[in-house]
Amino acid sequence: MCNAITIKHINKLEVINLIQVENVTKRYGNRNALKDVSFSVNEGEIVGLLGPNGAGKSTTMNIMTGYISATEGNVKIADIDILENPSEAKKNIGYLPEIPPLYIDMTVEEYLSFVSDIKKLDPSKKEKNIKYVMDLVKVDDVKSRLIKNLSKGYRQRVGLAQAIIGDPKLLILDEPTVGLDPKQIIEIRNLIKDLGKKHTIILSSHILSEVSAVCDRVLIMNKGEIVASGTPKELSKRLSYSNRFMLRVKGSKNEIITAINTIEGLQSVKSIGTFENGTIDVDVEAKKDVDIRESLFRCLSKNNLPILMMKSTDLSLEEVFLQVTNTEEEEIV
Amino acid sequence: MKAVFNKEFKSYFNSALGYIFMAVFLLISGIFFSLSNIITQQPNTYFNPVLSNITFVFLLLVPVITMRTIAEETHQKTDQLLYTTPISLTEIILGKYFAAVALFLITLLITCIYPLILSIYGTVDVWSIVGSYIGFALLGSSFIAIGIFISSLTDNQVVSAVGTFGALLLIWILGWIQQSLPTSQKSGIIFAAILVFIICLIVYASTHNIYVSGIVGIAGAAVITIIYFAKKTLFEGLTVKFLGWFSLLKRYENFSMGILSISDIVYYITFSAAFIFLTVRMIDKRRWS
Repeated sequence: MCNAITIKHINKLEVINLIQVENVTKRYGNRNALKDVSFSVNEGEIVGLLGPNGAGKSTTMNIMTGYISATEGNVKIADIDILENPSEAKKNIGYLPEIPPLYIDMTVEEYLSFVSDIKKLDPSKKEKNIKYVMDLVKVDDVKSRLIKNLSKGYRQRVGLAQAIIGDPKLLILDEPTVGLDPKQIIEIRNLIKDLGKKHTIILSSHILSEVSAVCDRVLIMNKGEIVASGTPKELSKRLSYSNRFMLRVKGSKNEIITAINTIEGLQSVKSIGTFENGTIDVDVEAKKDVDIRESLFRCLSKNNLPILMMKSTDLSLEEVFLQVTNTEEEEIV
Repeated sequence: MKAVFNKEFKSYFNSALGYIFMAVFLLISGIFFSLSNIITQQPNTYFNPVLSNITFVFLLLVPVITMRTIAEETHQKTDQLLYTTPISLTEIILGKYFAAVALFLITLLITCIYPLILSIYGTVDVWSIVGSYIGFALLGSSFIAIGIFISSLTDNQVVSAVGTFGALLLIWILGWIQQSLPTSQKSGIIFAAILVFIICLIVYASTHNIYVSGIVGIAGAAVITIIYFAKKTLFEGLTVKFLGWFSLLKRYENFSMGILSISDIVYYITFSAAFIFLTVRMIDKRRWS
């Protein structure tokens, strides 16, 4: 036990910010594409950028990789400012943009060899590097085919291979699974999970299930701002009413409400209406950290009021997402 | 730079572009050669006029080799790969420039067969031909630099090609324009004033600062006034002189006469360098705005 604590402690000390985004604002004319975005990612994390189309995910990624500059603020990769020393900072990054940057007139092998050259990787290890990434993303069987003849799934994988080659510390993947079929999506997701063991990954998506399946931490963006962040579980819990239930009970409204009101730990109860003949739907909310489901059952059955349905109205990440991105006025804590 | 050079040079031959360029260039220069040196009333060994004519063919073909250099990268979004890797922008542009120049030089080298054929049957003026070739190579490289610059302004290959063609054609007819321009002092002053005004506009467009451009304008006006009182004669033929700087072909004439002057060589190299620099600035500016 003691050992475990010490190890944990040491690990904590070693954690460093691989990427630090500080107060980044990007303006196009009068339009703010990004508004004062700040976050940092520790080494070893898989972080998801989540947001509807046009939320500023790709702009954020383009600024992080030095493709475009920010109007204000700065980005540091492994403590190197991307604008002050771009060639050093960029050595730490593998970037897969939204549209894989492929030269369609090249074969897969030629392309990866070119990428290895412009990334200024050690030429003596080039062949080994190329073989390693081709095995990893499973494009070995098409290595001598022209990229223009490859399917979307293969192209995406070649794009991923391009980002991984040379083992950069940080992988930035912009919607890595967009446009793929369900089987390919699962394959790529598993690949990303595997890569996460060795690399720090930032990926963007507008698909929630993807982010919750892969990421350790999620940043939700909307209209150029980060509106919420946390682990997928935290986010879901933070914004959901996990002690809230919907019940359908057979009996009269008064009887049911009076019966439920006697339960200890109850916060509120209200009737929603009748959706089935002879039954009432009620919305029950318990006090924080109290599980009243069992007492609900016992109480109602004692009063001879059969429960036909009991459903938790926990918000899924999807609902959290919609709530966060739709209601800006509401403050999210 | 080597990686970009190799990739670009190869890509000319991965598509039909490189082959079409070489084929058309060699076919038309072959026709010119046959018609003016062999199948004429008086077969002769004057190869320089042929080369001068080929420069015009090359002018028409430059857009073919430069139109896609940067426009296609922007269009296909492959520039995202290039600009996010440790390689510098200057290296990328230089790689592309040298690849296009290499394609051009190789094609030009093949045309050396023609004077060789002539030398078998008569005496050729070796040094003036060598001079012409050097001049042609430098002139062509300058054309390519212009083409690459225009390719960086757009993501549409057709616009890039038409733009390059228009710009080169304008340079071609600059000689004629020069001849019919007024050379009086008055016209020189007016031209200088217009020039200062244009510079002010450019400064304003890039800084959006009315004071800075105002200061530039006042400074320009002051320079014009000082020159007017100190040395009026400077304004004589100013318009013609100014346009003469951009007349790439005028200097080529020196080469084809066999005159190899350092100033002309430096001029062409500077011209190319300036346009490569402009290309880099242009791309940077777009990424920074």
